[in-house]
Amino acid sequence: MRGTRLATALLVLLSGVLAFSPALAQEIKVGAVQPITGRFAFAGVNINAGLEDALMIANEEGGINGKKITYIMEDGQYQLDVATAAFKRIMSRDNPLIMYGESTGLGKAMSPEIKDRYKILYSSTSFSGELADKASNPYIFVPGPTYADMIGILLKYIAKEKPDAKIAFFYSDTEFGKDPIPYGREMCKKLKLDLVAEEVAAVGAVDVTSQVLDLKRKGPDYVIFQGYVTSPVAEVMKQCKDFGMKCKFMGTFWGATKTLLDNLGPLAEGYLAVNPYMYWSDENVPMIKKIRAYTQKKYPKVTYRDNSYMQGFMTGLIFVECLRVADKAGQLNGEGLVKALQSLKDFDSGGLSAPFTIKDNKFPVARIWKANVEKKIYEPVSDWMRLDD
Amino acid sequence: MRCGDFKESYLEDEKIFQTWFVKFWLGLLLVCLLLFPLLADAYMLYIANIIGFAIIGAVGLNLLTGFTGQISLGHAAFVGVGGYATAILMTRLDLPFWVALPIAGLVTAGVGMVIGIPSLRVKGLYLVIATLAAQFILEYVFMHWESMTRGIRGINVPPPRIGGFVFDTERSFYFITLILVFLGVAFARNLVRTKWGRAFVAIRDRDLAAEIMGINLFRYKLAAFAVSSFYAGIAGGLWVAFMKIVTPEHFPFSLSIQYLAMVIVGGLGTVLGSIFGAVFMTLVPELLNVLTGATKYLFPGMDQLFIPLKEVIFGVLIVSFLIFEPHGLAEIWNRTKNFFTLWPFSY
Repeated sequence: MRGTRLATALLVLLSGVLAFSPALAQEIKVGAVQPITGRFAFAGVNINAGLEDALMIANEEGGINGKKITYIMEDGQYQLDVATAAFKRIMSRDNPLIMYGESTGLGKAMSPEIKDRYKILYSSTSFSGELADKASNPYIFVPGPTYADMIGILLKYIAKEKPDAKIAFFYSDTEFGKDPIPYGREMCKKLKLDLVAEEVAAVGAVDVTSQVLDLKRKGPDYVIFQGYVTSPVAEVMKQCKDFGMKCKFMGTFWGATKTLLDNLGPLAEGYLAVNPYMYWSDENVPMIKKIRAYTQKKYPKVTYRDNSYMQGFMTGLIFVECLRVADKAGQLNGEGLVKALQSLKDFDSGGLSAPFTIKDNKFPVARIWKANVEKKIYEPVSDWMRLDD
Repeated sequence: MRCGDFKESYLEDEKIFQTWFVKFWLGLLLVCLLLFPLLADAYMLYIANIIGFAIIGAVGLNLLTGFTGQISLGHAAFVGVGGYATAILMTRLDLPFWVALPIAGLVTAGVGMVIGIPSLRVKGLYLVIATLAAQFILEYVFMHWESMTRGIRGINVPPPRIGGFVFDTERSFYFITLILVFLGVAFARNLVRTKWGRAFVAIRDRDLAAEIMGINLFRYKLAAFAVSSFYAGIAGGLWVAFMKIVTPEHFPFSLSIQYLAMVIVGGLGTVLGSIFGAVFMTLVPELLNVLTGATKYLFPGMDQLFIPLKEVIFGVLIVSFLIFEPHGLAEIWNRTKNFFTLWPFSY
């Protein structure tokens, strides 16, 4: 009698396990190494929230044709060795279909293995042009325009506003700062803009007098910042104003955050930035509405999400779309995801950005925004601009 | 049971493996290390490789800082020189890894000797500043000598190979690392009991006295820099071949501090200490990472608070180690060993 009961119990247990295991197989894993601590944490926390929210919203809406997404996140501290370890930990423990990385450096370090060994879809916090290279990194994409595209879009805007304008680049001596500069020089020539100055200053530099004096001597109409988030942007703008210069200041994605507006205060008057995503303040956009509603439901204390959140969210939307397409095609693996990625055409993100069409593993579209000093928000001054039209 | 080992000559006193007991356990350790890749997954092997590189680097720095008393804050830059030299030799001259690595070590030793020249005039904190300058100068060179280093884009490096076998996974690379760690540690352990090693220690303890005794400070200080940099170069070359890419970001100033922390936490002036330090400084943050990562399942929504906490815990661990045992992990190990020498009949 006792033996029978035990056998029954075992049988029930076994059938339970058997019934459960297909359910486990229905799970789709998305891994991420995020800069939750370290010097990029200000954005990392937002990006992480954006990516996670996008995936969880997709889950609430039925997942990937019924399959649930699991989001696995590890902190990479914005340090290459820590991040690489976290990447490998996730890969060997969870073996996800998709990975998200915290920095340009991690993407570059992992790119040989992503291509030859792991064969997974990969995106990251980085807008570096080198990662968006279809030929050498077929599995890696940038969820928007690269820094070079952003500079290109800014220059295109300038060329329309003021032909033959005098341009100055003001960038940091980092990978992030220097990435789009060669392309920017080329683009200036092509658009017949006069590149009069290139100034270099360290991130967080306090003394920028010599650079500002040089700017004064060369008298640019537009100064484009690249490679900074806040400091020394405010200092440069203040000193230029003190010298009575009338030039306009511009920034790329990380110079399009609300943090910078808060930091600049009244100095932000006339500041222009390029950003491929809509802002939290654009309440009429359906996807922003959805994000706001979800945030209110899930994080009642949060009252604002910066543009880095939108970047993470957009990446999440692209992941979900790729997963859906690949799953429908019955090819839920790296190859299938890359095929799905390449098939993205006029992808509708609910208005979070322009319809996304992939071009060389990036989406070279953005618009120009102007700072509104009173409301401390950015307002669009151009429509969506593509680099190729 | 051991109840003491009695030495009848200085030669016996200088022996590395003093008793069969030590030999047995070290043999067992070696067997475990050889069996490890059969059981471990890719992530564990990745960490094992990183620990291996750290051990080679830390042993090198300990020879310079722990044995010769020349504090260096430029060790990461030397690691970088080795990395870049390996990458450049392998990609420009198409040299196989096995040739490029020792040459890279020698190149780094050369650079180390140049950087070491100020050590003849400046000591202590002043030397720290001089080596700190080296760190920044070399980092600048990595970034701006674009024709050679390809600047911020970095160089892609092919993995090492023997005939048709390619060492492109953590598992296969582990054996290269293991052999080189073994060679590196064995060489260092032997070096410190030769004339050279004793000269290093004499310079550390009192350089003036050492000079009066007839030790050529110029030669031995530069030799210490050369040997230390050679180790750093090998560590860098391994790292680069393992990661298959090198960019200037791989060798930040914080890595130099980490190396210094390894030798201090492990124990200055002991080879064993460098090993302990390297293991500790690499493994503990990883463990904390895993632990704080796990807390987010226990306390959902609190991960923003817990994840940064690991830095604090790590800091507290280091401080408490230094307070309770200023001679580092190696000394704790020695005390533990001594405790068990006559256990359970110790008096």
